[in-house]
Amino acid sequence: MAFTKMVNDTKSSATESRQSKAGRRDDRRDSGSRSSRRRFLAASGVGFAGLTGLAGCLGGGTSGPTGPVKIGVLAPEPGSNPIGASIAQSAKLAAEQLNQDDGILGNDVEVIVKDTHEKPSTGRDVYQDLTVGEEVDFTTGIFTSEVLLALMDSISEQETIHMSTGAATPDAATMVKDDYEAYKYFFRTGPVNAHFLGQNMVDFANANFSNMGWDSVYVLVEDYAWTKPVESVLNNQLGEAGVDVAGMKRYAGGTEDFSTIYDQVEQSGADAAFVAMAHTGTPAVVQWIKQQRPFEFGGIHVPMQLPSYYQATKGACRFAITQNSATPTSEITSKTVPYANAYHDANDKYPVYTGYITFDAVKQYAAAAESASSRAATDIISKLESEPFTGTVGTIRYYGQDEAYPHDVVYDPSGENGVRPLWLQWQEHDGAGKQVSIHPDSVAEGSYRKPPWV
Amino acid sequence: MALPLGGVVVNALMISALYALVAIGFTLIFGVGGVLNLAHGASITIGAFAAYYVSSVFGLGIWAGALAALVVPALFSAAMYLGMIQYVEDNPITVMILTLVTFIAVEEVVKIVAGTQAVAIQSLLTGQVAIGNGLEANRLLVFALSWVLIGLLFAVVNYTRTGKAILATSMSSKGAALVGIESDRMYLYTWILAGAFAGIAGLFLASLQTANWSMGRTPLVLSFSIVVLGGIGSIRGSVVGAYIIGFLETLTTSYVDSSLTGLASLVVLVLILLVKPEGLFGREFTE
Amino acid sequence: MSTSETIRDLLDPRELPLRHRLGVVALGILALAPLWSRLLYAGGQDLLLLRTLTAALFLGMFAMSWDAVSGYTGQISFGHAVFFGVGGYSSALLNLGYGIPPGFAIVGGTVFAGLAGLVIGVPSLRLEGPYLSLVTLVAPIILLRVFVFRSDVFGGELGLPSPDPLVPTSGFEQATIVFFYVAFFTFLVILGVLLAVTRSDTGSVFTAIREDEDAVSAAGLNPAKFKIFAFLLSATTGGLAGAVFVHTIGKPTPSELLVTTVSIEVIIAAVLGGMGTIVGAAVGGIFLSLFRSYLSDVTATIPIVGIPIGHLDLLLFAVGTLLLLFYLPGGMVRWAVVAGKRRLADRKPAATDGGQTPIRQVAATWRRSIARLRGADDE
Repeated sequence: MAFTKMVNDTKSSATESRQSKAGRRDDRRDSGSRSSRRRFLAASGVGFAGLTGLAGCLGGGTSGPTGPVKIGVLAPEPGSNPIGASIAQSAKLAAEQLNQDDGILGNDVEVIVKDTHEKPSTGRDVYQDLTVGEEVDFTTGIFTSEVLLALMDSISEQETIHMSTGAATPDAATMVKDDYEAYKYFFRTGPVNAHFLGQNMVDFANANFSNMGWDSVYVLVEDYAWTKPVESVLNNQLGEAGVDVAGMKRYAGGTEDFSTIYDQVEQSGADAAFVAMAHTGTPAVVQWIKQQRPFEFGGIHVPMQLPSYYQATKGACRFAITQNSATPTSEITSKTVPYANAYHDANDKYPVYTGYITFDAVKQYAAAAESASSRAATDIISKLESEPFTGTVGTIRYYGQDEAYPHDVVYDPSGENGVRPLWLQWQEHDGAGKQVSIHPDSVAEGSYRKPPWV
Repeated sequence: MALPLGGVVVNALMISALYALVAIGFTLIFGVGGVLNLAHGASITIGAFAAYYVSSVFGLGIWAGALAALVVPALFSAAMYLGMIQYVEDNPITVMILTLVTFIAVEEVVKIVAGTQAVAIQSLLTGQVAIGNGLEANRLLVFALSWVLIGLLFAVVNYTRTGKAILATSMSSKGAALVGIESDRMYLYTWILAGAFAGIAGLFLASLQTANWSMGRTPLVLSFSIVVLGGIGSIRGSVVGAYIIGFLETLTTSYVDSSLTGLASLVVLVLILLVKPEGLFGREFTE
Repeated sequence: MSTSETIRDLLDPRELPLRHRLGVVALGILALAPLWSRLLYAGGQDLLLLRTLTAALFLGMFAMSWDAVSGYTGQISFGHAVFFGVGGYSSALLNLGYGIPPGFAIVGGTVFAGLAGLVIGVPSLRLEGPYLSLVTLVAPIILLRVFVFRSDVFGGELGLPSPDPLVPTSGFEQATIVFFYVAFFTFLVILGVLLAVTRSDTGSVFTAIREDEDAVSAAGLNPAKFKIFAFLLSATTGGLAGAVFVHTIGKPTPSELLVTTVSIEVIIAAVLGGMGTIVGAAVGGIFLSLFRSYLSDVTATIPIVGIPIGHLDLLLFAVGTLLLLFYLPGGMVRWAVVAGKRRLADRKPAATDGGQTPIRQVAATWRRSIARLRGADDE
């Protein structure tokens, strides 16, 4: 089999290629995979050991495992990190709802949560606990792309479906493209991968910048791996969308003081800072508003997606906008608001994006299993590939083998046959902060307000 | 398009004042007690979160929070000294290990209590001041307060009896004992002072930027660089060192490449250690 | 004592004192781990135990490498992760970028780590105590910055993808067992090398340097040479462990090989086990790793606070280390050796009442009461 080399973008560190030793045997039940030695590009490359799974283990037998359906949940510090808490609690909520409705194929659903500590080595250990030790039907969750990428080989080895709900690196999907047989167990239910996140930013710019008065923007991107595809898309397409890019900066990951950076944005005369921030988001937005900078602020800002963010930052996020998967009051589908309320009833707070996606992942798996009348991995994989599912974040479909990012959730800017992130602005209503969705029109609850000091 | 020099200088001045405050506690303990307190970063974090809880969660306002930022880390520091350090202070290696482990414990506690997300606290002063392009009033206040506090410390150490006793202990604890100064008590005062200063630094850092559980790490490394550059045991050296590093940092990020944040202080540290380990104003500590 | 006598002493079981015999037995038990883990657990759990043991062995190796320089010569390294990182990354880069087979790549990684040891050790000759430790503390931070700055080469904070495994395997079970033995073999090699050096004259010089460097110079030896040798030894063993790590159960990423947490864990492990003994570091590393793994699985919750113990494992460890440092400052192994010696010593306990131990006294009293009951009631 010949594999084409995938080059993501100029600044990406991942060029896919496979290497194998000539003497390695594959002896799985399914047709084995062969791989060929490939060349490398400069000093970067990816070598994978395609390990084969145990014969007759999980997924062995003709219809899959028996007994209660066990869901393995990999969450980052569910006790102290809202992202992890949302993953864990949403999985439990979904399982509860399934159990009230006869479970999956008549079996009870159990949720086993393990803490990855956001570290790849711990992630690998707990993944093996779940698959080898607890013999779960499938796994879900995972946050930070670093942890996800460290687990891809284990996922392939254990031949267990993983429905990823927190990490955006496109590299995972390109691994599926390079070696479908090995990595077909991986699905990303959400978020849309970083390439499409960037695409969505451009689409938003196209649709809204002229209304908002953002004629020129300064792009600020934090220097972490997830922003590389985003930056590349913005680089290539923002100019064509008729937006004047006054400047672009990829600032250091540990930046805590943004004064110099904001001085440069101010000097460039941009109307707004168009950002992609996750780890450094909070100091950035707090300093923006405290220093009353004469430009507007928004983009992909992960901390702002937390429903409790207004309180945590004493309103520092007022007037800033961010992309998000969903908000508790936006009716993306008929399931969105009921889920958010159910989560709030159970946990006294609203979920973050990973919550919506994890809920959808569990429910979709259940639907696929019922549709296939089987718990065997291969049967469920074909159902996941072929049957769309209406979740809380939109219509969940996965790209096919012949597309650029197989098993990644489909991004559809029209929102009809795929997932489409919404955009919100934090606004103050009745003395409290509220995430008001401003785009797209079908879920908009309000319109963009300019900060008064600009 | 280069940034105007005036704005850059203002930025550098503001940040250097904060750096000086951060490093002073560290240099006090190092200079007087002769030990490296690697839990210095923990005192900073504790100060910031004490201010956050008192002002925001309990709703008592920012000045009550400032008081908490002063008192709580001072108590923590005193507890560390009385409970642990005083028994092992003649063994600097043990002190380093113990304080390092304490730092980790404190970080974990903060992570568990406050979560992993960063939190903001109210500014001490809101609004803008008409300097250059408009300067955040809070920054100017922090700058002024830093100088006031450092000046106070300088006055206390050089002109009051207790302060002079501390100085004496730092030069020679035996000599100080000969004139009736209890070195244990002086060390305790030093640790308390260091904790208080670290707490205020944490408050200022949180009010200008944000507070999160790992906020103490970078200031700790920064303190090393400043103290080594300035020379141990010298308050003047710490202030001068802070300004040198602050300016170097700001100039690098403004004119060279802003992805080089934090690298300036590390490079300075290594260079100084290799070339002139006793720093600008300090005493010998090498062979 | 010449080196060959030392090795003979090490290897001859009949001549060994009890604590050495115990060590050999422990190693033997470890060597048979795949067998008894299968007896203890079933259905895949035994493989998980083996993986945990393998990780524990690596922490033991890292700790031993730290002990070689910091425990023996007193040059405390607070950033030993730099050597693991250099070893692991260079081995991975040689394999991934130049197609060099893992065996040779590991050798290359070890050599690079040794060079790093020289780069850090030689300038550090001018520094003492805390200043030296500061340099070691910032070394991995600087290296990490460089890796992030040139993330096209080094992979930034995501690290590099996995290089080829040292021994090709198929299947989870085979991989687990093979990697365990690879780690165990490397562990033995590092243990052997370090024991050989530290139990010889060189080791005595190391300890002497820690105690009083001037005395060593006065004796006509050059402390600088020995200090550099200690750094070199420590760096190469650490680099070897790091290189083998990335070709077995680990990945060349910053969070596994370079972050401060790794350096700190290594220090805690060696100090807990006993600084300056090598064996203490090995025991401490294995114990720390196993216990942390056990703790993170505990689902019990602390009553008032309502937080599961599994979330608190690092905190509990930090607190536990503090306590242990106070009550057992020499570490667990030293304490065990000393306590064991005391118990085994053939000393008669002092008797202030005419030469009978308390147990004998009680026995005598019983005998008297029984005799009285039987037939001496006419006393």
